[in-house]
Amino acid sequence: MRALVVEDDPLVGDAVRRALTASGYAADHVASAEAAKSALHAENFDLLIVDVGLPKEDGMQFVRGLRARGKVVPVLMLTARDDLQDRVTALDLGADDYLTKPFQVPELLARCRALIRRANSVANPLITFGSLQFDLARKEASAAGQKLDLTHREWSILECLVLNAGHIVSKEKLLSSIANWNDDISPNAVEVYVSRLRTKLGRAALIRAVRGMGYRIDEISAE
Amino acid sequence: MRSPQNERARSIKRRLFALLLVPSVLVLAAGTLSDYFSAVTPIREAYDQSLIDGALAVAANVRLDASDRPVLTLPPEAVAILRADSSDAVYYRVSDATGELIAGDASLPEAPRSNTNPSRADAVYLGEPIRVISYRTYTNAGRLTISVAETTHKRDGVRRNILSSALAVDFMELGLVFALIGIGARLALSPLREVQEQIAQRSARDLAPLPLDRVPLEIRGIVGTLNRLFNTVSESATAQRRFLESAAHQLRTPLTGIQAQLELMAADEADVSKQQRLTFILDAARRLTHTTQQLLTLARSEEAANLQWELAEVSLPLIVENIVADRLAAADLAGVDLGAEIAPAGVKGVGWLLSEAVGNLANNAIAHSPRGAQVTVRCGTERGAPFIEVTDSGVGVAPEERDRVFERFVRGSNARGLGSGLGLAIVKEVAQLHGASIDIDAGPDGKGTRVTLRFPAVSAPPRPACASIASASFADAQRS
Repeated sequence: MRALVVEDDPLVGDAVRRALTASGYAADHVASAEAAKSALHAENFDLLIVDVGLPKEDGMQFVRGLRARGKVVPVLMLTARDDLQDRVTALDLGADDYLTKPFQVPELLARCRALIRRANSVANPLITFGSLQFDLARKEASAAGQKLDLTHREWSILECLVLNAGHIVSKEKLLSSIANWNDDISPNAVEVYVSRLRTKLGRAALIRAVRGMGYRIDEISAE
Repeated sequence: MRSPQNERARSIKRRLFALLLVPSVLVLAAGTLSDYFSAVTPIREAYDQSLIDGALAVAANVRLDASDRPVLTLPPEAVAILRADSSDAVYYRVSDATGELIAGDASLPEAPRSNTNPSRADAVYLGEPIRVISYRTYTNAGRLTISVAETTHKRDGVRRNILSSALAVDFMELGLVFALIGIGARLALSPLREVQEQIAQRSARDLAPLPLDRVPLEIRGIVGTLNRLFNTVSESATAQRRFLESAAHQLRTPLTGIQAQLELMAADEADVSKQQRLTFILDAARRLTHTTQQLLTLARSEEAANLQWELAEVSLPLIVENIVADRLAAADLAGVDLGAEIAPAGVKGVGWLLSEAVGNLANNAIAHSPRGAQVTVRCGTERGAPFIEVTDSGVGVAPEERDRVFERFVRGSNARGLGSGLGLAIVKEVAQLHGASIDIDAGPDGKGTRVTLRFPAVSAPPRPACASIASASFADAQRS
């Protein structure tokens, strides 16, 4: 995986590059939008991490230009500002996720993994989530090489959770992912399917309920 | 504060009233007096003339008798006619050149000589005021002085009539002037009142200049000065906000770098003692970052720094969702079950500040709850009023400390961890900025803490969140 860090602060840029390198990325660090453009011209990257407050052309403009040129590479934006509006603007402009400084390194890495997973699901039907493998084309999942026996609805819920990994998915959203054939399903049905999924997943992944908000799937780190 | 006396002393309307009314009363009084005298003079003249006619008639009837002595030959009937009057007593006296009485009332006083003949005078006769005219003439009976006088009842009566009718008219005029001045003062001051109402209706944070075109000339200077003041305040608020924004930005980036570098170094370090030292420094860097963030947020949440914030529609469910998602990792670490109860609610406010406030409440709740406890962030609308509430089942805040914990750098005696003591102060400032009240009490079953921010009710009770925003902005559009 190749990642490009666009950050004018050398301390932050270096830290992000090192963190990515330590988790197996081939990461480069540039300090301006201009340098980033020539790097993108020369090579392909699987992930961009862009600071909003770049000198001259700022991060928002850079991402807008990138999308205008048809580049679909996933972008995680970093900002030192705390305006909610900034987040909305960044996402509108084509950024895929947004992280506020100061952030913790594990959080940054988790967001990067989620972005790459989501981006890959478009081009490549085979994606990995912890010890789980998914074949999105065949709608099959396996845990440590063992194929999981999932019903159609269980698969839909698992797919929805995995593609939104790192984020809490509301019950309503899960419900709409299984209720596409004018079915009359009660919201409680989601709980039933999640409970069955948990049993089938065993220790391969953790589906946690966030009271009042929905569900989130977490990787279980190998011990 | 203004006292009612002060208000009376400084009322322009009252001054205008007094300054116009006093001269008007004086002018009216002068008019009445002149009317009175111009009416009284011809009447006195007429009455005097009838006395003169009497005197002339008497003079024409003085003859010399057989012994060459002057006598009055007026028959008694004629004298009776002369004396006849319904209300006044009429007196006469005829004397010769030596002052010897020829006929009439012996002790009737004469009008002293003057440059007119007959001369006139006011005098007293038989204890009553009289008007007397004396005619000095030379007839074939020799030099004669004929005085005719009458009491003044008739004249006094007429004078009183004239005076009272003049006064009656005067008082009516006075009433009219009073009313006209009142209406005039009110109308003249109405532009002043309009400006005052315009200023009174503005929100405290509205620093837009007042329009000058409809302001009266006399207070254009004051309004101009006010506008310049608004401008100065708004510029300094903007400058302060920019400074704080820039400070937040400038401090946050290097702190992020230090923290991230230390995290990586601590993870890589094989030497246990070095790793421990790195972890200490990392903890300190995190505290420094946290306190910096809290201090800057506190400064930026103060009213003064927010005069120029555009208040936008903020969805409370969105804030609660973001905070709960964001604090989930911290809650997991503390073994706390963090959850939400979300109902539609929208307020007009500053989104990131509300986020900071709710985040601080959530941080406190998580930090002060034992393992296995529940922390719930709630939002919704109660009788039209949006609210956000954070409840925990932790150590709680002692009732006597509940007011004080919102002060800066004050931490409850039960407080745990390494808080800065600024979290609740920020909550308080943010609440004030949004006109929200803060309630702090024990949690649902008397355990832990419940902090509730209640925002002012929006006009229409909102159904779904987006509808409430739409209706609020519609109300705004109608107001502006």
